[in-house]
Amino acid sequence: MASLQGRKVPTIVRFYRFRNRLKEKTHGLGGGTGSISEEALAEAEKALEQMAEDYPDWVSSLIAKLAEQHGRCVDTPEHRREFFEEINNIAHDMKGQGGTFGYPLITEFADSLHNFTTIRNDITDGMVELVKAHVDAMRAVIRGRVKGDGGEVGAQLKATLEKAIEKYKGK
Amino acid sequence: MADYDFERLSVLIVEDSLFIRSLLINSLRILGVGKVYAEDHGGQAIEFLKKVKEDPMAAGTQEVDIVMSNWQMSPVDGMMLLRWIRRHKESPDRFVPFILITAYSEPKRVTQARDLGANEVLAKPFTITAIGEKLISIIEKRRQFVHTRDYFGPDRRRRIVPIEFEDRRKLTDKSPGVEIVRG
Repeated sequence: MASLQGRKVPTIVRFYRFRNRLKEKTHGLGGGTGSISEEALAEAEKALEQMAEDYPDWVSSLIAKLAEQHGRCVDTPEHRREFFEEINNIAHDMKGQGGTFGYPLITEFADSLHNFTTIRNDITDGMVELVKAHVDAMRAVIRGRVKGDGGEVGAQLKATLEKAIEKYKGK
Repeated sequence: MADYDFERLSVLIVEDSLFIRSLLINSLRILGVGKVYAEDHGGQAIEFLKKVKEDPMAAGTQEVDIVMSNWQMSPVDGMMLLRWIRRHKESPDRFVPFILITAYSEPKRVTQARDLGANEVLAKPFTITAIGEKLISIIEKRRQFVHTRDYFGPDRRRRIVPIEFEDRRKLTDKSPGVEIVRG
């Protein structure tokens, strides 16, 4: 409660202004703006590149999970909604990873898969087919180690997927 | 301009994807962060933070300086963790800088994170440079915390923008009802 001429006024806003302890911890009291050591950044990039070598194996297991969920959608259509939810979760994860490890096409295809599997009322056969088209496109990216935008191969994969989206749209 | 020394920093990473988690742990260690802790999801992170408060010896640290957490996790996601940190009485530090990591990219999601008191949002897929930039921002651009009826978190005004018309903001530091806490 702040007071005004002896009268209590209810607090509308409280501002907390603390000294910058993090800066003291990381930069001493010298002042000025710090920077992150270039060598450390380069070394971290190198470590990332090393991890990126394992990324295709890691993501292949996720693609296999997607394929499995697709199979279930075909076998037991009455449970499609829960399978789609799982597909949606996996796609969300993949979207957030591909680009970091040099596979932006995985991020792009996962984004597309994530968008159209965000639960809606009816899950049609066409939508289930479209899951398959995305799985195939992702498999092709990983099998061919299609990094970056993938040049011609990448463009071709994108075109094929777009054609499938066009074909099954509204079906 | 000197390089930061992160040796005394203690960072908690909360990420359910094993692959991304090891990447984050590795990257922070290489950048020189002295203490890196990692948990699987928000629920485990809350347990860890409680331990830091109740039994710092067992937790291995007196404090956590920065929390980096994924958003979508199960059963307790990053937003629930953020809410707990900012509002729960058992939280060891309601002011701890919080970096929300997410593959959600829609503006409304970013606004939602900001309104719950996240300091920074790191978009997935991220780069090492982006991690570095978020750390610098947390350290250099320390913002005051604001507590109103419906908000508690870092000031959502990041920049001082010159106003070219009448300033209609009514409250100043000296207005009744405005309380300043320093520390």
